[in-house]
Amino acid sequence: MLLNNKRKILANSKRKIFGIIIALSIGAMIIALFLAILNVANIIPLSAKSTSPDIIHLVIMSTIQALLSTLLSLMVGIMLAWALNRLEFFGRKIIIALFASAIVTPGIVIALGLIDVWGREGIISDFLQIFGIDWDFSIFGLFGILFAHTILNGAFAATILLARLDAIAAQKLKIAQSLALSPLKRFLLLDLPAIKNTIPALGAIIFLLAFTSFPIVLMLGGGPSNQTLEVAIYSAVRLSFDLKLAVQLSVVQLILCLLIIMPAIIFNQDHIRAGISSNHRWQENGFSKFMQITILIVGIFVFMLPIISILLNLFSMEFFTLVLRPSFWRATITSLTLGASSAILTLFIAIIISQAKIALHGKISKALIALPLYVYLIIPALVLSLGFYILARQLQISNSIIAPFVLILGNALLALPFAVAVLAPSLEAINKRYNKLLSSLNLSSLSRWRFVEWPLLGREIGIVLALAFSFSLGDLGIISLFGTNEFTTLPWAMFQASGAYRNNDAGIIGAILLLIIFAVFLALPVIFRKFSNVRS
Amino acid sequence: MFSKYFLSLILVLLSFGALAQEKPTLNIYTYDSFAADWGPGPKLKEKFEQNCNCTINLIAASNSISSLRKIQLEGEQTKADILLGIDTSIAAQALETGLFIKHEIDVSDINIPNGWSSDYFVPFDYGYFAFVYNKEKLKNPPTSFDDLIKQDIKIIVQDPRSSTPGLGLVLWIKSIYKEQAKQVWSELKPKIVTMTKGWSESYNLFLKGEADMVLSYTTSPAYHKIVEDDDRFEFAQFEKGHYLQIEVGVIVKSSKNQKLAKQFLVWLISKEAQEIIPTTNWMYPVANIELPKGFMEQEKPKVALLIDEKIVFENSEAWILEMLDAFK
Repeated sequence: MLLNNKRKILANSKRKIFGIIIALSIGAMIIALFLAILNVANIIPLSAKSTSPDIIHLVIMSTIQALLSTLLSLMVGIMLAWALNRLEFFGRKIIIALFASAIVTPGIVIALGLIDVWGREGIISDFLQIFGIDWDFSIFGLFGILFAHTILNGAFAATILLARLDAIAAQKLKIAQSLALSPLKRFLLLDLPAIKNTIPALGAIIFLLAFTSFPIVLMLGGGPSNQTLEVAIYSAVRLSFDLKLAVQLSVVQLILCLLIIMPAIIFNQDHIRAGISSNHRWQENGFSKFMQITILIVGIFVFMLPIISILLNLFSMEFFTLVLRPSFWRATITSLTLGASSAILTLFIAIIISQAKIALHGKISKALIALPLYVYLIIPALVLSLGFYILARQLQISNSIIAPFVLILGNALLALPFAVAVLAPSLEAINKRYNKLLSSLNLSSLSRWRFVEWPLLGREIGIVLALAFSFSLGDLGIISLFGTNEFTTLPWAMFQASGAYRNNDAGIIGAILLLIIFAVFLALPVIFRKFSNVRS
Repeated sequence: MFSKYFLSLILVLLSFGALAQEKPTLNIYTYDSFAADWGPGPKLKEKFEQNCNCTINLIAASNSISSLRKIQLEGEQTKADILLGIDTSIAAQALETGLFIKHEIDVSDINIPNGWSSDYFVPFDYGYFAFVYNKEKLKNPPTSFDDLIKQDIKIIVQDPRSSTPGLGLVLWIKSIYKEQAKQVWSELKPKIVTMTKGWSESYNLFLKGEADMVLSYTTSPAYHKIVEDDDRFEFAQFEKGHYLQIEVGVIVKSSKNQKLAKQFLVWLISKEAQEIIPTTNWMYPVANIELPKGFMEQEKPKVALLIDEKIVFENSEAWILEMLDAFK
């Protein structure tokens, strides 16, 4: 028994060490990127007179917008997850996959889909016109930004929270059912404790996404009064090439965001008693069922209409011309290869970090190891791209050779916080649930993974892979300095087309991207669940 | 799968290296839509390579300013021979870097409104910023900014900090209204639906019907006419003039192929090369060639506005702040 305990402690400390090493190297890389930029900034003379922007105003605007976006997204997420957990209906899995994919779809694609629906000449306006009603609604302004962010992030939050609700142990549900808990009591006593642990990290991610959101904020913001710090950083690089200012502003953004999300990450209730996905479903009746159906119908309506309008692009005349172009296939193959590679890398790092996070004791150390994950979400892609570019030059590696590696690594790092948010709670639940069993078994870290964790985590692993894969498909920012003609991805091709009047081509590529993302979100969790169970 | 991909990538790179020993390669840094399949890049490359015994290598960044930034970062070690596609609003910044040389090309024949005299930059096309509208929906397009302010019209523009036409609008308004520019901006404010990051988002929103007019180019309607056979679009002719955008090429100082680079630029402004520009880059050519029919349906602006590039260089940041101030 003593020996076994030692073994377990050894396995745990191995996990801690691996995790700390990975977290430190991720942190070290961001410092290297900053230093590389600053190093060059000292050599290059200032190109133009840069006047420091009104940072305080931008910071206040961004913070308000991001906080509101986070609150709304979490509320919508909890409501949708609640409804989806209670209801059983045909197509439930498809709806969940669609919701999960929201966050990785290129934001501009969704925003343009929203315009198709809610715009001046959108579907709703056309519909009301039939009855002679004028649609006098403008989506532009703070409202539009919040609307788009809530749709993108709320649907994602719903799928993450739903996984926690679905994981409430069947025995617990049966006891509660026999006690005839009211819907409200059931939510407070069973649901809330199950999701409480997930909300802080989820909220932190959504906050960062909203804070650093740039094209959507500018597109729907309705003018410079609604803006983010990102635009100032962008301007420092683009217009005045003031690299020092760009790094300074990035550091301001970094510190500010970390300060805001830090309490959320540290605040972690350690009382999960949830298991892993149970199949017991306990439906409710009466008023709460009515509410659940209403929430779901509104959610599907608001979320699906823009998606459908994007997919309608596939029925365009230019579809075959586009698909027959060899450059389209080159871009597709490049995108799929990059997506698959960074998905595997993300999963690998996410497992190590999640295991270490669970092995570590104390809220502060748990939070510290998670911290480097968030950094890449906070630093603007343009600055990351610049840093990687300069670093590659200093190491004297040719651009065309390093470009794929930068893309894979960069995108993997971007997907990492989402991956850990999906993986860590389930992993923790497993470790808590089988704590005694694990202590009594003589298992090394690797065999604990092989025989206990992996067989139970199939679905989560599928989601992580789908998330990371789609993230790299949808990202543009990091490649912006590296892009050459031999190296094109699908999002790049979309950007290229829409920059040259070819909105039809861009629309078709956007729709194809969406289809790929749906397919991956639908298939991977199921495949991995089966795959991991077979081996157990 | 993955290693195969890399192997082929390395093989491709090696074969480029082998080719380079046989004939010189001219590396041209340019912007993305110039080098795209449908852009002028591939066609120009094919034609020029027929006679030069050289290889043209187009290296595209997402926009022309990024290409300039790449050369600045790479400094003396850059492999770029030519920087192609920056415009006059950023030209003085490029000059300031000291990374480029004089072209020594006779540009006196170049056909650009108000003429051309730079010793460093060779212009290869130009356009005017303008508000584009759908004539079936907007019956009385404004004829000036004052007229626009008076009418009940919604417009979509771009942010000058992230977009070239966006900066163009700041310069356009400044060149007409000088000290009153801020006043004009605050009167324009209620007309502006939104200010997007780039041109493509704006144009997309406009085509979806979110505004009556969009900040674009006088040549935009020609695209719809020629490619889509759609003649609903026109630009609003402003009496006090339109701001010019002139796209230029410049030879890199550290280039080992300066002779070839010069040869390319000379050819680029010849009639043969200029024939390619209008229907691929959707800008006006700088040689005296006959324009395709779709370009001729509306008269070109009568007054061409352009602020001296050095003054732009000194003041553009301040003018952008002035504009932002008007929005507070």
